[in-house]
Formats: sequence, C-alpha cells, structure tokens
Amino acid sequence: MSRGAEPVVEARGVSKSYREAGAEHLVLSAVDLVVRPSEFVVLLGKSGSGKSTLLNLISGMDTPSSGEVWLAGKPLQTLSEEERTQLRRRYIGFVFQAFNLLPTLTVEENVLLPLELNGVFDRKSHEAARRLLERVGLAGRNHQYPDRLSGGEQQRVAVARALAHRPLLLLADEPTGNLDADTGRQVLDLLEELARETGRAVLVATHDREMVSRADRVLQLVQGRLVARPKLQAAR
Amino acid sequence: MTPTLWRFGWRSLIRHPLLTGLSVLGIALGIAVVVAMDLASQSARRAFGLSAEAVSGRATHSIVGGPSGLDDGLYRHLRVELGIQSAAPVVEGFVRPAKSPGHTLRILGLDFLAERNLRARLGNGSVDVRTLITTPGAVLLAATTAAELRIEVGQSFPVLINGVERNLTLAGLIRASRAGALQAVDDLALMDIASAQEALGKLGRLDRIDLVAPGQDPQWIEGFRAALPPGVELIRASARSQSLDQLTRAFRLNLTALSLLALLVGVFLIYNTMTFSVVQRRELLGVLRALGVTRRQVFSLVLGEALVLAIAGTAFGMVGGIALGQGLLPLVTRTINDLYFVVTVRQLSLDGLTLAKGIALGLGATLAAALPPALESTRVAPNIVLQRSVVESRLRARLPQFGLLGGSFWLMALMLFALPSRDPLVAFAGLAAVLVGFALLSPAATYLLASGARPLLEKMLGLPGRIAARGVITSLSRTAIAVAALSIAVATTVGVSMMVDSFRATVSSWLESSLIADVYATVPGMASRLSDATIRPELVEKLRRAPGVQAVTSVRTTRALWKERPVDLVVADLSATSRHPYRFAEGRPEEIWPALERSDAVAVSEPFAFHHRVDVDQLMELTTDDGIRPFRIVGVYYDYGSDRGLVMMSRQTYQRHFRDRAITGLGFIAAPGYSVEKLLGELRAIAGGDQQLLFRSNRALRETSLEIFDRTFAITQVLRLLSVLVAFIGVLSALMALQLERGRELALMRALGLSPRELWKLMAYQTGLMGLFAGLLSLPLGLLLAHILVHAINKRSFGWTLRLSVEPTILFQAVAIAMLAALLAGIYPGWRMSRANPAAALRE
Repeated sequence: MSRGAEPVVEARGVSKSYREAGAEHLVLSAVDLVVRPSEFVVLLGKSGSGKSTLLNLISGMDTPSSGEVWLAGKPLQTLSEEERTQLRRRYIGFVFQAFNLLPTLTVEENVLLPLELNGVFDRKSHEAARRLLERVGLAGRNHQYPDRLSGGEQQRVAVARALAHRPLLLLADEPTGNLDADTGRQVLDLLEELARETGRAVLVATHDREMVSRADRVLQLVQGRLVARPKLQAAR
Repeated sequence: MTPTLWRFGWRSLIRHPLLTGLSVLGIALGIAVVVAMDLASQSARRAFGLSAEAVSGRATHSIVGGPSGLDDGLYRHLRVELGIQSAAPVVEGFVRPAKSPGHTLRILGLDFLAERNLRARLGNGSVDVRTLITTPGAVLLAATTAAELRIEVGQSFPVLINGVERNLTLAGLIRASRAGALQAVDDLALMDIASAQEALGKLGRLDRIDLVAPGQDPQWIEGFRAALPPGVELIRASARSQSLDQLTRAFRLNLTALSLLALLVGVFLIYNTMTFSVVQRRELLGVLRALGVTRRQVFSLVLGEALVLAIAGTAFGMVGGIALGQGLLPLVTRTINDLYFVVTVRQLSLDGLTLAKGIALGLGATLAAALPPALESTRVAPNIVLQRSVVESRLRARLPQFGLLGGSFWLMALMLFALPSRDPLVAFAGLAAVLVGFALLSPAATYLLASGARPLLEKMLGLPGRIAARGVITSLSRTAIAVAALSIAVATTVGVSMMVDSFRATVSSWLESSLIADVYATVPGMASRLSDATIRPELVEKLRRAPGVQAVTSVRTTRALWKERPVDLVVADLSATSRHPYRFAEGRPEEIWPALERSDAVAVSEPFAFHHRVDVDQLMELTTDDGIRPFRIVGVYYDYGSDRGLVMMSRQTYQRHFRDRAITGLGFIAAPGYSVEKLLGELRAIAGGDQQLLFRSNRALRETSLEIFDRTFAITQVLRLLSVLVAFIGVLSALMALQLERGRELALMRALGLSPRELWKLMAYQTGLMGLFAGLLSLPLGLLLAHILVHAINKRSFGWTLRLSVEPTILFQAVAIAMLAALLAGIYPGWRMSRANPAAALRE
C-alpha cells in the first residue's frame, strides 16, 4: 500500500437521493472516500444501506446528486456518458453477486471480452485469458458454457474476467452472497491473492463481517454516512 | 464492436433457432410477395411496352378516325397529292384460333412496300413480300406462337373473326431482328393490308396511318393537322401506349399497396422479435454496459442482429419472390386482359430495378423495424439493480402517454383523409397512420381487456385462469407487443376480405338492376372486356323480328377521340326499357333523358368523371365524323363494368355525328308467356351459322360477369391468403417468444408441483387469451381498414362508390384465426417445458 501515491478513486462530499412516491429518499449523504493503489478496502453495511449505489457512483454507472467523484485522476462529473463508459472499461473490473456471466459466450470468451473492449485482439489475449483461467483453477474448461459450471466456478470465471484487462480498481458487490461459506472463502482467497499479486486496488461491498480480516481498511455505511471502522471493532 | 461481442449477438440469434427461423420466414414471405407482385406487373407492362414499340416502330404520329376508321383514299391522297413518303397504313384486329380458344392473335395488316424502316423491330419475314400479297389469308407468325398453336409453315388454320370462321395460312415466320425482339412480336399475326382488310371485314377502311413527322417541326404538324378532313385526327404515337399505361396505374398501385400490407405484417414480426430479444436480455445488456460496452456498441449489436435476419430474410424472399412471381404472372396477365387490354406475357422479366427495390425494401424495412428496440437497448442502464418489475410499472405508468400518442396518430390520419387530394398515396399514408396509432393504443386496450377478463376467468377456470389473465398484465411489456402485432395482422386480412366482399356485393346488386333483358346477344368477344366486334346488320334485323320478342334494346360500344385520347363510348337507344338500368350519381334523371335525346349531350360513368376530372355541365370536345364537336355532360351514372370509365350517348345523337350504324350487342325481352329457354332457342335458330353469336340468358350473363369479377380479384385473394400466412407466422413467433422467455417462471411452477399437463393447460389458457384479445381488437381495426379501403382508397384509385357490406363470417374467422394460431403457438413451448428438467431450466 502506498499512502503517498495518487488515489485510484476519490469521492468528495458525494450525496445521492432518489424520488420515491413523491418523497425524496436520501441514500448517501456527503460521502468522502479515497482508495489508493494496492489497497484492499472492505465496505460494510446492511442491505439497502447504499453500498451498491456507492459502487455504481464510483464506476460512473450512476451520477451523484451532489459532490464529485474522481476515477484515475479524472473528474467523472464533467465527463459524458460515453467518456465515463470508456473510463470504466479501462480502469475498473467488476465482480457481481449473481456472477452475471454472459450465457451465450464460453468461459474463455467471457474472459476475453474486457480485453477486446480495450482493443486487445491478438493471440496474446487468448493466451492471457487461458493463463488467468488456469490461475483460477479452471484449466481445460475454456470452451464450456457458464451454465455447465457450479456457482463457485462461475464466480471464479467472473474474478478472472474482472482482472483480465489489468484494471486499477476491482469492485466487488457481495461477491460471496450466492455461495456457501467454504466456496465463498475460496473465491475470496483467490480474489485477494490475485489482487495483491498484481497490485490492484480492491473495494468489496459486503455485509459479511468475516471479510474484515482480509482488509487493509474497513469502512461502514450507516444511515447514508461513511464511517471508518478499526478492523477489530468492525469484526465484532 | 469486438469479435466476442459479435459472437454474443450471433449466438443470441441461434439460441432459439425456431424463433429466428420464423422471423426470417416472416421477412422472406413479405419480401417475396412484394417482389413477386412487382415482377409480375412489370413483366406485363414491359411486354405491353415492347409490343407497342414494335407495332408503332419509328412512327411519331398516327392519323386516326372515328368508330368506322379512315377511308383508304386518304392514304393515297397523302402519298400522291401531298407527297408524304414516310407514311404507312395499318389495319388492326383481334382474332381467335378456332382450335385454341384461349389464344388471341393480334392481326396487323401492313403495306409492306410502304413500311421500309418504319417498323424495323418487327424483323423480316422468312418469305418474300410477293408471297404474302398473292396468297389469300397469308400471315406471318413468330416461331414461338406458331409452335404453340402447332401450325407448320404452309398450313392453313381456322380462326374466328367477329364470330365468323375463316381460314388463314401460315406463309412464313417472323425473324427477330435482334435477341429478345421475339417477345415483342408474340401473338402478332402480320398480314398484307389488303388481305387483312378482307379478313377483318374492313374493305376500303383503315384503322390508322402511321407517319414520321419531318423533324418534329411543330409548325409543320399544325399545318398538316389543319389540312386533314373533318373527323380525322393526328395524334402522337406515344399517346396511345401512355394512356393505356395510365389506365393500369391504379391497378398496379393497388397490387403494390396490398403486397406492402403483407410486408408491413412482416415488419411487425421483426419489431416483435427484436423487441423481445432486447427486453429479454435487459439484464445481460446491463452487464455488458457495466463491463464498459458503450451505448453505441449496444445499439450496433442489436441492429447487427437485425441485419443478419434482414439479409437472410431478404435473400430467401428474393428467391421466393421470383418463383412466386412466375406463379402470379398468369393471374396478373389474365386480370389485365379482362379489364384493360390484350397482352401476352410468357416469361417473367427479371427487372434489375425491381430486384434492387426488393433488396432495399427488405433490408430497410427490417432495420427500420429494429430501430425502436435498438434505441430502447441503449437506454438499458449499466445498473443491474434495475428490476423487471420497474420496467413493467414504468410501462403501466406510461400507458396514458402511449394512448395520447396513438390518438394523435389517428388525428393525423383523419387530417390526411380530409385533405382534398385525389392521390391514393395520401390515403395509403393515412392508412399507415391508423396502423401506427393502433399499435400505440393497443397496450392500454390489452390492459383493460385483461383486467376486465380476470374476475370472469377466475370464476370459469379457477386459479389457472386467474394466473393466465394476471400474466398478461404483469408482462404487459411483452404481451402488448404480441397482441398488437397479431391484431394488426389479422385486421389486415379482415379489411381486405371485407373490401372484396363489399365490392362483389355492390357489383352484384348493380348487375341485378342493370341487366333487365331476358336474353343478351353479343359477338364472342376477345379477351378484353369491352368488345367492339359488331353484329351483321342483316342479322340484327332478322333477330329483331324473332317470334316471342316483346322489346329489343341495342347497344354499340366503340371508341371516340377526346383530347387525342381514345375513350370508350357506349351508344344506347333510349327506350323506356333501356333507361331503366341507369342510376345517376350527379344530375336529375328527368332532365338527363330529354337532354340526351334532343341535344348534343353525353352522360359519363362515375370512374370516367373521377379519372378525367369532369363534371355535369362541362363540355367534352369529341372528334366526330364531321370534325370536333362539343358535347355537354348532363349526368354522371354508376357503373362498375369498366374502371377506365365510359361515355354514354343516345343513338339519335350518335347518328347525327357519326356515320357508323353498327351494333355490338342486343337485349331481348320475352313476350308474356314466352319462356326464356324457348326464346333462346328461337334466336339461336335464326342466327344459324351465319355469324357465331353468343346468346346468354340474364342469369347466365350475371353469373359470367361475377365470374370475371372473381377472376380479377383472384390476385387479391392470393395476396390476402399470403398475408394471413404471414400473420399466422407472426402470431406463432410472438407467442412462442413470450412462452420461451418465461422458461424460468414455468420451471419454477414445475418445481412447485405443477404437472406437465397442468403446465400445458396454463400456457394454453394464456396464449388462447392473448389470441382472443388480439382477435377482438382486430375487429374494430379490421372494420376501420375496410372502411378506408372501400371509401378512401378504392374511391381515390378507381373512382367507384361502393357500399361497405359486413359479412359476420369474416369477423368470426378473424377471431378464430387469432385463437387457433395462438393455441398452436403454445404447443411447442408447452412440449419443451413439459419435457424439460425443471432443475436445468431453473439454472438457465
């Protein structure tokens, strides 16, 4: 972790509210957040506390009601939708709770997709995809379709896909939510190992307190506000 | 777009091969119908153009006369006294080979010595001119025609000329001057002019004199025109073929419009398929967007998928269109022969422009149909938390907006119909606006119908009934599209059927009131409906005096010249009996009859008034035997016998201006107590073998007329059947897509304990319910379409006033088609789901 380095992502005074049945519903309130390279940050919060909303704001998939978000040194609020998409495809890798692999693409093609979106088409991209799949323990399953894999295997493919294009930041939204405890642990081990190996920053949104032990830093969303938690306290 | 993204799109298409196949079939059928219709009518047009060109040759002008033609002394006068060398006389007529009654030959009697280069396209004969001049009844035929009639060179063959049998001799074959020219001379019989005059009973008369005006000098032409004797006109050679081409314009336009309706149904099918593929993959598209796929890339992805469907559909459609065109060609040709003029079309000419149009239409229409769903796909937020329920509740909230938009399309349609324009294209634009408006209104209508049906269905069918009705509402984003596509498809067939039925009913009641004599006599006509073959005068007199005849009406149909164009003239005697059939749209009968009898007046048929934009009190300057004379239009009468329209003149007026005394048709009214059969027998006996006449009883003539009507609408019926087929495929694919998409939901129900049988029942209820809704919604729309077709499009295309008649069986049929298709559509997904392992389906 390099505290002095340029932040991968920085949120300043970010608020987000939705109109629901005529009333304003505040989800995030003046959130400040900095994630630096190689940091492993765990974001705790109950269901509906705004964790996914914060991840969507950071990735530029949604825009804040007020405040600023900077990704890789670029101010998202000044960029167009197209530019935010370009930035996301380059700097962010996503792991979802429901895996969200594309069912009509093979395992290898799922991993290839982020590479191709970033303009990497040569044979090396196939080799890189295969190496990654080997690394997540799925050697030889390249040409299978996702529905032939177990939940744990699918999430491992998702991890490989999220890291394939060497993003600066890996966002994971409840990555173990659909897995049993053992499998979830294995997936997390893999995710942490790969991220640390390659020096990627990771921001994991979860309500699973077991994840705290892996974190460099723990944050918690409470009633829309982001508070830092010491690791020991957070584990309780 | 990256290769993997393309793969994603491609595999989405082949994931449901049946569904994709149906969409491709839908476009293919739509395109095939349009291309086939276009190719067939273009081929007929081209064949007509080629033969007109061959017959006119290099002639720039023709000199023509009244109903009895020109005196052949005029030709001598031109050549000898005026010294015009580039003129050639023509005698023309249609004959029927006695042994091949289906065939019509066009006799062209020419002065071969005068021809020189005038008609080079006709090619040369294989015999010298002397043989043609010296052998009586000698003709030249194209080799193809001779082969078809099985006549060898040197052989004599009998033909019927104005009902009289005569022998012609095949003296030689026409040699084509260039490749392809043979098509132009198909069914043409070339004769020496003197032999033709004799054979056609036109001794001393000419039909026209063709000439090449020196240098197209307008002054020369004016001077020449002024020097012509009264009753003789100089017209441009192109005017004749142009006016015939204009005649068929409305007919061709209607064929095109009907075929476009079939394509429209195909387009809805594509819209439906593509919308499904977007709605169904909303979550996946959201994932793609989260991974960094841009809106533009998603748009290209969806449009790219549509392009694949478009290419496949268009390719099959073009091949199918050519095959179908070959099949439709005889139908189109027969209709043109029945209604307009004699034309022989042996082969489909593959017009490059038509083929290019077909390709552009297939690709363009499919991409246009895919545009709304493609745009919709770019609106998928890269936010995967967007729930399906949100999509549905948003749609429900927007129902009033959709309704409003639909309403404004209808308002636009109303405004288009209110425009004083006579262009049928404006009416077609109005029709399209009605359909789009309906598509926008249908989600609200589906919602209301399903909400209304729910309590009733629950009472009748219990829980499955309620689930089925609720399913229609909760998946409104999908069900409404399917119901809209379906009802538009079915409504189209309802509209077209009702139009044809209304037309037939109007014609039938018109025939009933206009055919008042007991027996009719005519010379067996050629293919074209308005025959001007005349009955020999001595025979007319004999027939008039036949026993058992109480009264006789006579008619002369011929052509007169008006503004350089030939118009069909009906000369009627105005006895009280003959007046009976006429019903007037404009003018008062008590003023019309005396005016027709005593003054230079005419009445015109409704289509004539419409096409030529003339009205009561206007003057028509007709070329008579004494030169151009004005005739006042005193009435406009209903007539459904000719779509180009007729001018009617009393015999007294006609005889004041024309020397022609011929009669083309007689009507006999039997004396009291004299049976029609007996009268028929008497008349036939009197006619004997002199001249073959066709005697038909009132009933037989009515039946024949309706037969011709049905024959001319056979092509429309074929089109209707084809659009039913496209509609059926539309229903099938829309509902199948819906059920396949519900795979997980249905698997869940199986997992919860629903037996395969119960599952089938549930699906049948739901698809049947949607079929019922679509069928019900198609009824008001179908009636509206019929109303538009009858009162706006037919009126603007042909000028006919028709009465809309509503046949209840058509309405039942519509609902039945929709429901049957809907139930059939449930079979495959039902079979698939009941066989599928619920656990595996849940994992998908």
